[in-house]
Amino acid sequence: MSRVAAHDGAAFTRLFEHHAPVTLGLLSRILGRRMEAEEVLQEVFLQVWTQADRYDADRSTPRGYILMLARSRALDRLRRRDASRRREEVVGAEQGEAVSPLGTERLESLERRRQVTGALDSLSPDQRRCIELAFFEGLTHTQIAERLEAPLGTVKSRILLGMNKLRQTLSAELQ
Amino acid sequence: MTAAPHSARFEELLPAYALGALDGDDLRELEEHLTAGCEECRRQLELWDRDLEALAGSVVPVEPSETTRARVLRMTAGAATAVPPPRRLPRWLALAAAALLVMAVWGVAGQTRLRGELERLTAERDRLARQVAVLDREVTLARDAAERSAQALQVVAAPGVKSVVLAGLGPAPQAKGQTYVNPRQGGALFYAFDLPALPQGKTYELWYIAAGKPVPAGTFAVDPHGAASVRVERVPDVSSIQAWAVTVEPAGGVPQPTGAMVLKG
Ligand SMILES: [Zn+2]
Repeated sequence: MSRVAAHDGAAFTRLFEHHAPVTLGLLSRILGRRMEAEEVLQEVFLQVWTQADRYDADRSTPRGYILMLARSRALDRLRRRDASRRREEVVGAEQGEAVSPLGTERLESLERRRQVTGALDSLSPDQRRCIELAFFEGLTHTQIAERLEAPLGTVKSRILLGMNKLRQTLSAELQ
Repeated sequence: MTAAPHSARFEELLPAYALGALDGDDLRELEEHLTAGCEECRRQLELWDRDLEALAGSVVPVEPSETTRARVLRMTAGAATAVPPPRRLPRWLALAAAALLVMAVWGVAGQTRLRGELERLTAERDRLARQVAVLDREVTLARDAAERSAQALQVVAAPGVKSVVLAGLGPAPQAKGQTYVNPRQGGALFYAFDLPALPQGKTYELWYIAAGKPVPAGTFAVDPHGAASVRVERVPDVSSIQAWAVTVEPAGGVPQPTGAMVLKG
C-alpha cells in the first residue's frame, strides 16, 4: 500500500488483481446492478490510487480498507438512487418501458440469495435479516424496525446478539 | 462537561455503531463518550471493524469486466512517465474549459453548418456546469472529471481536428452524436445527446469502422438528460476511419457488435 501511495503502478496493478473480485462481489451484493457495481469499483480504485496515503496499516489490512471504502461508496450510491427512484419510475411509466422482465428479476434474487455466504449462516434468520439490512443496505436501528415492523428494542438485541455470534463464527473460522 | 464513564452499556452499543446502525440518543451518547477519549471503547471498536471487514470479504467474488479492468489500470499508465497525479481544477477553470471548447469550434468555423453545433455545445457546457456542481461534493470524482475536461480540451482545441456527426437510427431517431478526432495525438472524443436510458443489463457501445471492421471504442450509459461522453485514448490513422456507430449491447460490452444500431455517421 505504501508503494501505491508513492504511485508505483505495478504495485497498484497487483493490489487490483488481488482485491478487485471480492470488492466487486461486495458492490454487486449491495447495489444489485452489475453495471453500477463496476462503475463504483472504478471509483473505489481511483480513490485508492489517489489517496493511498490515507491508509493506516495499524487499523486495517489493505483488503479491509478497500472493502470498507467500497461499502461506504456503494451505500452512498444506494441512498442517492432511492432519492431519484420516484422520478425514474414516473419517466419509465410514461415511456411504457419494460424496465426488467420478470424472468431476469427472479434469477437475480436467486443469485443474490446464493451470494450470502457462510459467515451469516450461523445466525438465526431474524438476526441475519437485521444485520444484512444494516450492513448491505445501510439502515439504522429505527429504519430496520420500520422496515420489519418489529419493536425497536427487539431489533437492537437481534443486532447485538447477531454480531456477537458472528464474531464467534469468524474467529472459529480463523483457527 | 464530563462524559459518562466507561460501562457495559457503551460496550453493547459498539457493534451497532461499527455497523452504522446506531441512531437517536444511543448514537449521541456513545459519540460523546468516544469523543471524551475512552481507550477501551476505541480498542473494542477496532475489533468490531475487523469483524465487519471479514464479513465484507465473505461475499462471493465477481470478476470485473475487461473494460473495467482496462479503465482502472489505465489510470496508473501516466505514472511511469512521470506525469504528475491529476490535480483538482477549480470550478471556474472547468467552466472556462467548457466555454473555450465552444469558442474554439466557433473560431475555426464561421460556417453556418456549425451553428447547430454551437447550440449543442452550449447545451453540453450547461450539462458540464450542472455536472461540476454535483461533482463538487465528491472531490475524487471531481478530480477525475476535471482531468477529463482538460483532456477533452486537448483533443478538441487543436488544429486539424476532424469531426463527424452521427445521426439517430430506428429505435432512437431523435438521438444525435458527434466525434472529434485529433490527428496529432490520436485521441478522440465522442458526445451523445437525447439517447433513451437502457434497461438493466444493457449498455451502449461505441465503435469505429476501420478497414471494413468494427473496432470497440468503449461502453457508456447516458445521464438523466440522455447525454453521455466517451474519451477514446488512441485511434489509428484518422483517414482510415470510415464510420462511427453506437449499438446496444449486453452490460460490460462485447468485442463484436451484436445489438441494434442507434447512431451512425
Ligand atoms: Zn468506553
